[in-house]
Formats: sequence, C-alpha cells, structure tokens
Amino acid sequence: MMYIQIIKSISHQDSFHQENLWDSLTPLAADSTLISPDYKNYISPSSLRRLSPILRNALTVAKECQANYGNEIDAISVGTALGCLLDTEKFLVNIHTSQSDTLSPTAFIQSTHNTISGQISLELKNHAYNMTHTQNSLSFEQALLDGMLCIKDGKKHVLIGAADESISFLNQLKSIIVHEDAQLTSGATFMILSPNQSTSGIGILDFSLSLNTSNRSQLITDFLEKNHLNRNDIDLVLASGKDICATFNNAIDYLQYTGIHFTAVSFAVHMANDWLLKTNKKYVLIINEQQKGQIGLIILKNDKTSN
Amino acid sequence: MVYITGYGVISSIGNNVEQTLASLVAQKTGIQQGKQEHTKLFNVGEINYSNDELSDFFQLNTNGSRTSLLGMIAAKEAFKGHVLHDKLRTGLISGTSVGGMDVSEWEYKKYLDQQTQNIETYRHHPSGTTSAQIAIELGIQDYVNTISTACSSAANAIMMGARMIQNGLLDRVVVGGTDSLTKFTISGFRSLMIFDEEWCRPFDQTRKGLNLGEGAGFIVLESGHSLTITKKKPMAVLSGWSNASDAFHQTASSPEGRGAILSMNQALKVANLLASDIDYINAHGTATPNNDLTESKAIQTIFSNRIPPFSSTKAYTGHTLAASGGIEAVISILAIQEKLLFPNLNHNQVIEETKLEPVKAVTKTKQLKHVMSNSFGFSGNNSTIIISAFES
Repeated sequence: MMYIQIIKSISHQDSFHQENLWDSLTPLAADSTLISPDYKNYISPSSLRRLSPILRNALTVAKECQANYGNEIDAISVGTALGCLLDTEKFLVNIHTSQSDTLSPTAFIQSTHNTISGQISLELKNHAYNMTHTQNSLSFEQALLDGMLCIKDGKKHVLIGAADESISFLNQLKSIIVHEDAQLTSGATFMILSPNQSTSGIGILDFSLSLNTSNRSQLITDFLEKNHLNRNDIDLVLASGKDICATFNNAIDYLQYTGIHFTAVSFAVHMANDWLLKTNKKYVLIINEQQKGQIGLIILKNDKTSN
Repeated sequence: MVYITGYGVISSIGNNVEQTLASLVAQKTGIQQGKQEHTKLFNVGEINYSNDELSDFFQLNTNGSRTSLLGMIAAKEAFKGHVLHDKLRTGLISGTSVGGMDVSEWEYKKYLDQQTQNIETYRHHPSGTTSAQIAIELGIQDYVNTISTACSSAANAIMMGARMIQNGLLDRVVVGGTDSLTKFTISGFRSLMIFDEEWCRPFDQTRKGLNLGEGAGFIVLESGHSLTITKKKPMAVLSGWSNASDAFHQTASSPEGRGAILSMNQALKVANLLASDIDYINAHGTATPNNDLTESKAIQTIFSNRIPPFSSTKAYTGHTLAASGGIEAVISILAIQEKLLFPNLNHNQVIEETKLEPVKAVTKTKQLKHVMSNSFGFSGNNSTIIISAFES
C-alpha cells in the first residue's frame, strides 16, 4: 500500500483551499473556468510573469504538498498528456511569424514536457530522481507506476502528480481528441505517497494499466480478484464517463467534475481520497478509459475503517 | 541482472548498426549543411531520406510522424530475431522531446496562414502517440510508455525499462529514444544562442555550441527468465543507471555539476562498481561552453586523478536530443564488442580550466568491460547508465 500523505489540486472546482473536496463539488457548468489560488503566495513575482498556467498550477500544488509535509521529497514523478501547450503554441507562432533573427527563448525553454517536474525541483531545491511520463490518457498512471518503483527501490517520500492545460486552439481539434460537446479543461493534482502509514490511513492499494483491451468488464473482475475483492466490496466507483458508470449501481462519472483533459484521473484520486475521509468507507475503484481500449484501474483503500 | 539482446540505430552516420560502426571507425561525421528548407542554413546531422522514402526503404507498415518512423526503424532493427511470446510480457519505452512536432508545426503554419488545415495531422502530435505507433509496428501490446525529459529522455527510458524488469513487471522491453529535426527545435536552440555555425567541437577550448541531429537508438533488455525462453545470447549487460536533479537552472548546469556528480555516483552504486572500474566514458559532450566545462569538472570529481578514456560522439551525429541516450547506448555496446574507443572528432585544444584530453583516434584496447554513458537534459535532468560486457 502507498499511503497518501497529502494531496492537493487546482482545477475547475473550488478545490485548492477546501478541507474536503466534496464540500463544494459541483458538476461543471458549460462555461466553467480554472479556479486559481493566489499564486503570489507560492511563486515569486518574477517567476510568475514568466510561467504559463500549467506551470503555475503544478508548482503551486507541489509546493503546498511539500510545505505541509515534514520530510524532504526523495523522488518526483510527473505525468502529462500534452505538456506545456501554451508555451508550445507561443513559440510556434513566433517561429512562423517573427521577421526577427533573434527570438526570445523563454517559450521554447518552457515548452518541453519536463519543465513541470524541472521547475518543481528548482523551486524545492530538490536533487532527487525526477521523471516525466507522457502516454496520452494513461500519463498519470505511468507516473504512478514509476512512483511505485521508487518506493520498491526504498524511497519513502515520493511526489507524484499530473498536470495538463487547455488552450483555445484545442477546441478546433475536439473531433479527433474526444467529441464536439466536450468541455476541455485544465488541472493539476499532486500528492506525496509513502509506504509509511498516514494519519488518514488512506492509500493506493493497487493499480493497473492496460492497452488494446476490449473486455473491460473481465479486466475489472480480474483486477479485483487479484486483490481478493469482488464488486460488492467496492463502496464507490469513479469512472470516466456515463457509459462505464451504467454498468455499476454505485458509480459516479468523475468527468462531469473535471471536464476533459487526459490526466483528469489524478483529480479522481483526490475525489476518492476525500470521499473515504468523509464517509469512513473502505474501498473506491477508479476506472479511467478516457481513450478507448486504454484502461487504467486504481483502488484506494481506507485502512482505518471497520465499515 | 538485466541483459541486452538487441540493438538498432539510425542517424546521419548510418541506417543501421553496421553502417554506424563503419562510420565510427572511418571517423566519418554525418554533420553537414542541411538540405531541408528549415535546416539548410545550418550544419546538422540530417538523415537524407524523406518520410516517404523512409517508409518505403525500411518497409514500414505503420503511418506516423518522422519521429515515429525513425523510431520504428531503429526499434525494428533492435527487435530483429525476437518473436512475441505469450509467456513473456514485452514492452516498449521510448523517449522523445518533440513527438510529432515535425508534422504538426507545418499544419499549424497553414492555420496561421489561414489556409485549410487537415486536423487529422495532429493525431500524430502527442509524444505518447509516437511510442504507440512504434509499438504497433513491432506488435508490442503488453506495455507502452514514453519518457519526455528533453535530452536525457532515452537514457531515462532505458533506466525505466531496467527497473521494470528488475521488479518483475516486464520480462523483455525495447527501450531507447527518437527525435527528428524540426523547425521548432532548430529555432529553439538558435534562440538560446548555443548553436555553432560550424562543425561542433566537444571538449575543445574553442567550442561555441552544438549542431543538432536527428535519429533513433533502441536496445532490447531481458530478464534471466526471458533468456530461457528467447534463447538469446546477451551482447552486454545493463549494470547501472541513475537520474538526479541539478536543481540549479532551467537550461544551464551548476558550475560544479552537482546533478552530474550525483547521477554518475549513484549509477556506480547501482552497478556495484568503483570509479576505477570504468574503462570508457561516452560523455554527453554537446560542445556548448556550459555543458562541457561542467561535465569535465564532474568527471574530475568522480574519477579524480584516474580519468578513464572519454569522448563525445556528438561531432559524428550531432546532438540528437531525446534520441542521444539511445544512440550512444548502441555506440557503447559497439565499443565493448569491438574493444574500440571511438574518438572525439574535431578536437584540438583542451579546455584550459580542466585540461582533460578526450580520445582522439580510434583506439583498440585490451580491456573494455564497463562503459559509462551520460545524458543531461534541460531542467537539470541528469542521467547516467553503465553498460558492461557479458560474461557467461
């Protein structure tokens, strides 16, 4: 078990300052926007001017995790599906339109996917293992997998997270990304995982990633069995979409709270954690199939409940 | 133990392992004036085939960006002779920094020019998709992942694969990296003013900057259990790996090379080797003033007065960014197989501050057992792998 020591999110929900996400969780309105904290409390004015939203969000939640945790982080693993899109687009516009021979390198430097994990290491002055995974809708699960390997290698305080950002240009690509009426959103969720028990007793019991899978139902059954569980043991299912939810009687579509970005599942982990805290129930299963056939499964367990 | 049982490479010095070795031995660089619209003003390590020619010549079945196609070519060569097996969990982990930018950057230009764009092109853009396409070409379905940590991506993909094998999550994994030359990266490195207009000079006092290149390099890692089924004879062993953060600056490395020192030290620990066991270092050596000085100092810190022979092979291939760790892993294996030290081309004058002299000629050695390969990326992402001779 990897215990969640602390978890923080910036999203289109009022999530960052909430004690428990479920106190204010509401399905997103069609015109929802990112609810930003006061970044000035976390990032210096000079950095703030330079950093795009995805970097501000990730840096702020990562710093908040470290600030509320007594031990130094000994590994960092980040997932992002599309990376730093705003800076990528900015630099693309520059190279195609600028007549000048000298371009500003800032957008280029900040366009690489690992700017997210890199900025975190810079801000935290952290010299530990630092990795960035990008595998479309399973990017967060890949970062989680690496975090698990770090813990198996003996690390005790692993910062895991995911961040993605929406830019307006993406709306033109909706038909190839998802579907026309989807709401494209931004978000960042980071957590510190440890093999040491947390005060809440809540953690990630197990997870799996599968590709080219046509039989989702069997996959779920096998995964639960491997953990000596069956469907009746699961108190809540958080799933990516109504269709999957329809196959359970206790499922919530988490995408209605996150909107669409390919690491939205990281917010579902936050939802699951806070739900277990609030209800004192035992198991939540998260099913991420944002892209067809690519399935991520995560079980959260509450160790401290007898329910 | 993590065994290496396959290798494949494509770059400006060769379409495959055999041609690459021939160029290394002949001291033949691939760096010359570019031939594409976006490369023609520069000295680059360009592969002189169009995307259609790559698909035809290498008989590729899967469509993709140039980054994907190059990846398929090298990964297929590495996986040649391997067959998928239902008792073996086989994965692919690729590093890339640009993904499908080589196609999306031109589609986006159409959009800026208010021409009709074909949005289907953007399907190739995500870095994760380049790896998915390479995996499809190889038929690999058990596990696919992409590491994107700029210039250390391939080294990190190799390390991730090794750790998955060590922890029993995979039996066999194709690991490495791929990047193609794009207007995006060329303009980017130019904007940083770390481009050399002429042929780059790694570890030379007069070095001015890097030449970019493109290519892909992959190796196949297997567990001991996997070997009993594949019956492959290992060509080498992946004995050490590490990643550490310099945490100094977004693009520059710390003066003392703290991240580099950490990654080299930890890789030696993982390999259970002493610094004095290393017989050759394939350095990151980009030929930027900052990298080569820092890397030299870090090497001096680790090896003190017993510096092993070292060279950067980037004056052959150019800096192939996310692919470099994969290409240089292949070169490291070749060094062990041939017992050859490959020279640091275009070197005349040692760096005054450190006075380290790299290997300057193709040199046959009696003992070449352990090779260290460094890859350092933006954001202070420092990685080191150690490849060792296989002893049965």
